[in-house]
Amino acid sequence: MRESGAREMAPYLAQPPAMPVGTPGKTGYLRLGFERDASGRSILREWERRAPLIVQQALYFDEEMPDMPCVYILSSGGPNVDGDRYEQHITLRRGACAHISTGAATKLAEMRYNHAALTQRFELDEEAYMEYLPEPTIPCRHTRFRADTTLRVAPSATLFYAEIYMSGRKHFGAGERFAYDILSVCTHAERPDGTPLFREKFVVRPEAHRPETLGTMNGYDVFANVVVLTPPEHADRLYDRTEAFIDRDAGLAAGISRLPNDCGLLYKALGRETGPVKRLVRAFCSDVRLETQGRPLPPEFPWR
Amino acid sequence: MSENAMQLIRLLEFADSAFPVGTFSFSNGLETAAEEGLVHDAATLEAYTRDIVRQAAFTDGIAALHARRSYLARDRAGIAEADGAAIRCKLNAEARLMTCRMGKKMAELAVHIFPDAEIEAWLADIAAGRTPGTYPAAQGIVFAACGLSERALFAAQQYGAANMVASAALRCVRVSHYDTQRILFRLGDEADALYETVRAMELDEMNAFVPQVDILASLHEKGLKRMFMN
Repeated sequence: MRESGAREMAPYLAQPPAMPVGTPGKTGYLRLGFERDASGRSILREWERRAPLIVQQALYFDEEMPDMPCVYILSSGGPNVDGDRYEQHITLRRGACAHISTGAATKLAEMRYNHAALTQRFELDEEAYMEYLPEPTIPCRHTRFRADTTLRVAPSATLFYAEIYMSGRKHFGAGERFAYDILSVCTHAERPDGTPLFREKFVVRPEAHRPETLGTMNGYDVFANVVVLTPPEHADRLYDRTEAFIDRDAGLAAGISRLPNDCGLLYKALGRETGPVKRLVRAFCSDVRLETQGRPLPPEFPWR
Repeated sequence: MSENAMQLIRLLEFADSAFPVGTFSFSNGLETAAEEGLVHDAATLEAYTRDIVRQAAFTDGIAALHARRSYLARDRAGIAEADGAAIRCKLNAEARLMTCRMGKKMAELAVHIFPDAEIEAWLADIAAGRTPGTYPAAQGIVFAACGLSERALFAAQQYGAANMVASAALRCVRVSHYDTQRILFRLGDEADALYETVRAMELDEMNAFVPQVDILASLHEKGLKRMFMN
């Protein structure tokens, strides 16, 4: 297949005069490798980081899975700014487990010359289990953001990968909703031998085409997209158990579908505010954990 | 578009909702949109149909154009690539079922109407599980085999997506034939601009952002009461 190289970002390639692309501090890098130690406990074995991305250490705070390392990704730079290029490469070796989140919402700053990009690669070996459950991403006025995520997952592994996007800083000043320039988000999955499984890409350019129409955001402000790659027997039970609904009074809607090649499920939720959408995603994550690991998620920390 | 009368007749035949590939069985999620009260009149139907058509342009539209080009370049691997890309971006089971049924049906009809070794070979690949057999890939190769232009193919693909929703609307939304024909006519105004964008796009640029439609499709798939397959 010929690669287009994300041509939609072509209008946003001018050098930011303050700090050009590639300047130290603008190329965050994170390499996390989890594996099981001799006792069978999962540990963070490989750990490489470059500012502004920071991971301090793995903690074992999950009361339902006390042997699971939990990691918060922090960004010392505050929001992602013009010309930032971040890269995350996370691997789980056979039978390892990990829970990854972010310390706070990811804020995408106003951009005038270039764009911010995030390239991610998740690799799960056989029987590995990972929850990637970050706080929401908030684009602001004139944000240009590209995310490209590769999920390379063995057939017996389970990956819960969630993303939550807000329409903008809707409570800032008079309210910013879909005031960004572009969000280009691509998530594609493959087996360890390279066999492609599915590919989802969305490109939202509010100025060219408002994403508030009946078939798109339809009045909602928060969009959650959750990929669950898991063996078919788990996927079948989760599909049956997960409710699809539109609750117009609560301003909340959700749906679930089966991904191609029997590789898992796709869960989508829409809401007016982040809180209820986060709760839906967390409840779904709990179901996935219960189905695949036999334990639910513990209650969320009250400060989150 | 420089089709002669014969080619225009081919185009009308393949784009006709009476061409028996089964479009009448599907509603592209409209049935649930109507049941949920999201689509309830001509204005909401037009908004919904516009989103469906736009989504189709940037997914199936791209795949169809690539399949046509690969057929003309005698590049079987290219046809399979377009076919595979089309199925991998169909993220619910009913949409995959719909596209594969219609694709296979279109190819079967084609070889009954006119002999073509490439389409026969493609059908054999579907039967052997070597390629999924999606509708846009079938449209691409059948149109190429009949000498129809890329723009004609795109027009048929867009009209098919719009007409599927409009026809279903007559059965589940309180709208008239006047309404649905006016919507089809108006959406036609936008097709050339969409084509100019889509024709330059690669398979890896296929994209869609219709979360509300996706949730409706999920509700439909899980629902018990329904007239349409999707």
